This record gives sequence, C-alpha cells and structure tokens, in this order.
Amino acid sequence: MAEICYEVVTDACPSSVYESTPAHSRRRPRFQTVMHEDWEKNCKRSKQEALATRYSSIPRSSREDFSDQNVDVSSPRYGVSSVCGRRREMEDAVAIHPSFSSPKNSEFPQHYFGVYDGHGCSHVAARCRERLHKLVQEELSSDMEDEEEWKTTMERSFTRMDKEVVSWGDSVVTANCKCDLQTPACDSVGSTAVVSVITPDKIVVANCGDSRAVLCRNGKPVPLSTDHKPDRPDELDRIEGAGGRVIYWDCPRVLGVLAMSRAIGDNYLKPYVSCEPEVTITDRRDDDCLILASDGLWDVVSNETACSVARMCLRGGGRRQDNEDPAISDKACTEASVLLTKLALARNSSDNVSVVVIDLRR
Amino acid sequence: MRSPVQLQHGSDATNGFHTLQPHDQTDGPIKRVCLTRGMHVPEHVAMHHTHDVGPDQCCSSVVQMIHAPPESVWALVRRFDNPKVYKNFIRQCRIVQGDGLHVGDLREVMVVSGLPAVSSTERLEILDEERHVISFSVVGGDHRLKNYRSVTTLHASDDEGTVVVESYIVDVPPGNTEEETLSFVDTIVRCNLQSLARSTNRQ
Repeated sequence: MAEICYEVVTDACPSSVYESTPAHSRRRPRFQTVMHEDWEKNCKRSKQEALATRYSSIPRSSREDFSDQNVDVSSPRYGVSSVCGRRREMEDAVAIHPSFSSPKNSEFPQHYFGVYDGHGCSHVAARCRERLHKLVQEELSSDMEDEEEWKTTMERSFTRMDKEVVSWGDSVVTANCKCDLQTPACDSVGSTAVVSVITPDKIVVANCGDSRAVLCRNGKPVPLSTDHKPDRPDELDRIEGAGGRVIYWDCPRVLGVLAMSRAIGDNYLKPYVSCEPEVTITDRRDDDCLILASDGLWDVVSNETACSVARMCLRGGGRRQDNEDPAISDKACTEASVLLTKLALARNSSDNVSVVVIDLRR
Repeated sequence: MRSPVQLQHGSDATNGFHTLQPHDQTDGPIKRVCLTRGMHVPEHVAMHHTHDVGPDQCCSSVVQMIHAPPESVWALVRRFDNPKVYKNFIRQCRIVQGDGLHVGDLREVMVVSGLPAVSSTERLEILDEERHVISFSVVGGDHRLKNYRSVTTLHASDDEGTVVVESYIVDVPPGNTEEETLSFVDTIVRCNLQSLARSTNRQ
C-alpha cells in the first residue's frame, strides 16, 4: 500500500492533473485500485452495493415522474476518495449514510456525510465513523427542524460522541484498535469531525477541528465551515479564558501540543480543546456540489481550485440533464474526489487525504 | 478518583536556590535547583531531582500519587525497552543498542501523529532497581527538545501507596520562552504519569 501511494506521488505533477494524455489515462487504473481499497476501508457499503441500492430505489420507468417534482427524492450522487498518502498510518475515516434518518423513498430524505481525521491513533475517528450518524439520528426531533433545533441536535450529538470515546477509553481497548492491547493511551487520541446533513431544501454543516466543508455555487466557493486553529482570535480568547495557552512551537498549538483548537476526544487537553461544533445552515439554491475533506487536501489546495476541479468534473457546472443516468454523475463525483486527492498528493501533502464530493444539482 | 498532580517549577531564581560560578563558565551562572524542595522525600530522591541549570535551560518536575505499592508501579516504569506500557504519544519503540537493561543502551522512539515531533533517540542513564530510579537522556531524533534529560523516582507514600516524581531539564528552543517550554513538556509528562496511575490501578 505504501509503495503504491508513494509511486502515485512520484509520478504525479500538477500539470498532469488537468491533462487528458494517454500517459495520464494509463496511470488512472492503478490509482483507482488504491481508491477502491481505501474506499472499502472507510465506507460501510461497497461501491457496487451503493449503486445497487440507488438503482433499486428508483425504478427507471418512474424517474421521469420524480423529476417533474421540485423535490429531489432520489439518493444523492457522491464520490469518495481517501488515501494514506505519505503518512505511514491511515487515520482518516469517512461515513456516508443516504436517507439515514428516514425510510428510503421518503418525501423528505436526509442524507448524512462525514469526514473524520484522527490524530494520535485511528480509533477515535473509526468510532466516529461508526457512531456519530446514529447519535445525530437519535437527537433529531423531527424531519423539519428549524435552525436552532439543528444547532442543538448537532451540539448534543458531538458532546455525546466525545463522551463515548472517553468512556470507551476507560474500558478495555478492542482488538480492532491499532494501539497495542497494553496501551491505555486513549486520553491522548482524538479526531476532527466535519459532518453535513443534506435535506431537499437545506445543507446543514457541523464542524469540529480543521477539516472543512466548501459549497460550490455557480463555480464559486462558499465556505460552510471555519477551521478551528488555535490562533483564530475567538478560539485564542476562549482557550486563554479557560486558563490554557497557545504556544507557537512549529505552528500555533494548544499548550504547544495540538495544532487544532477543537476535536472529539483528546481528553487530556480538555477544556482547552473543545468538542463543541460550529453549525451552519444554508438554503439550497442552484448549487453545483459540496466538498467535505480533511486538511490533507485543504492545506495544499485552495477552496477556489477545489471548486474549479469539481465543477469541471461535473460537466462544466451545467444543469444536470433531465434523463442523466445516475451512474454518470456518480462517476463524475468520484472522478472529482480522485482528482482532488491526486492533486493534493502532487502538491506534497504530508497527511492522509480524504475527499467527499456531493452532487447538489437538481 | 483522579490522583492529585503537583507541579514544581525551577525557574524562580528568587526562591533561595544556590548559585554556583564554576571557573570555566563564562556565559552566565549555573543554578543548582532542587525540585523536591519543600517535600518530605528520601535523601536519594532529593539528590536525583537536583539539576544544574545553565543559561537558556529550564527544569521542572511533576508529582503523581498512585494507590499501589512501589513494586507494582516500578514493574511498568522500569521498562526502558517498552515505554508504551504506560506512556502516551509513542507509536513504536525499539532498542537499537544493548538490551535495554544497562546504562548506555539506546532506544529509538517513533512519535504518534498530531504532535510536533517525529522521533526521539534516547539513552538509558540510570536504572536503579533497588531504589527505583530510572533516567534517560535524549541524544537525537526529530524534535525541538535539545539536551533533554529526565529522571523518574518512586518511593512509598505514608498510606501504602507510591509517590512518583518525574523531573527533567532541557534547553529552551530558539524562539520560545522558558515558560512555554515548561508548559509544553509538563503537559506531556503529566499526561504520561496520569496514564501510569490508570495502568497500575487497572492491574
């Protein structure tokens, strides 16, 4: 695995990301293999399973009827790419749960997407992948939450997730964890969490840490989250107000240790490192797509560049054709996520990279 | 119930510490700092936690009470070859010289992600099985803590538990202050000693 990832880094260069040369095409299959392996590690369902579900939930003969309505009741189109990159361990995790809080074919489907970037070990991010969407589902009071209700739902879910990983750490560490069984070091493991719930009329984003959600609207980036860096003025004030401090070691770090000011877990740095998410709720309009990604992408790719790449892959940002095969935009999203991942590696990202691209065109 | 953790800093020169002026020292005074001053500890413990601090250096100690007998705690602390049994932040450790049981042995520690360090090469300086003293110095690696030396001692507390004292001395990295350096290292040491308390109580 590491050799393949390294080979990709060696072969790639920024200009080749945009060229459609035969050499580029020949490299793609190998990269896809990497994607597939990593994708399976991070998603509960395999790609084929996802496609089968999508087809079975929308009989072809009835799609035209659905497309006549303003409400998009089909499953979301999305692509995922998640790679170890230059780091030795994979500590990112991705969770995707279409129609997670309502029956399939509901008139008001809500789709869940999450990217979790672990640090110290992988088990907190893995736990978030397994549990956070269920906690959100439990906290939802109705299908039609208003803005305040969404904030409460997300804040309570994140707090419960944080408590779960802390109390879980006090018990015996499971064999799935990469930590040795002898190591009780769960106090010092944590994860970011950037979560989006997409409804027919709204995009809800809850963020804790330095992963990021960016909406592409008419080809322009609209940030739906703000990175929790310790030197962000309001974060610095909050940390110092709690009696902590931010020390510039190689970059701003809480107590000189952690380079983000909010995270799930990291109990030893509480209360300075908070698990409270910042929540944004955005009305859907004529949007292109939503990109959720870990800082392995955002550290080396700007919001503008990411939007340009994604829009290009989604057929130049044109409106989705009425009878477009779902597999086509699904493939376009996957290509966008793969291209973005590859671009990050080409720009020498030194971290795991995880990218989710969600087609929001109606 | 979480054990109390005490901190004692050695950065206050007005606190009555002795100042020595060696003949060959030309760039400032060396302060002799006793980090267990004010505590009732055995004489050998006080000696091991006394450091000669040069200019651009700092030292500190962290104290952890553990409700377990010293022999139980020592079984974990003495493992120079396997610090992961109680220390956080270690992804991998291997002995690269000797067997981990003798002064002069070296270990290579790889650090977990998220921290401002990658690796640390550490030399065993003291391993006193009778008096429960272990010490290591950092002689290389990818990190900013130059000339770091740590000493950990265990002694019996009055209530049949163990008093763990870990002190260290280290250069203040360029661009940082003494206070910042102490804050950073104390956080790491405190987290490790709290983990040691949990590990021992779990057995």
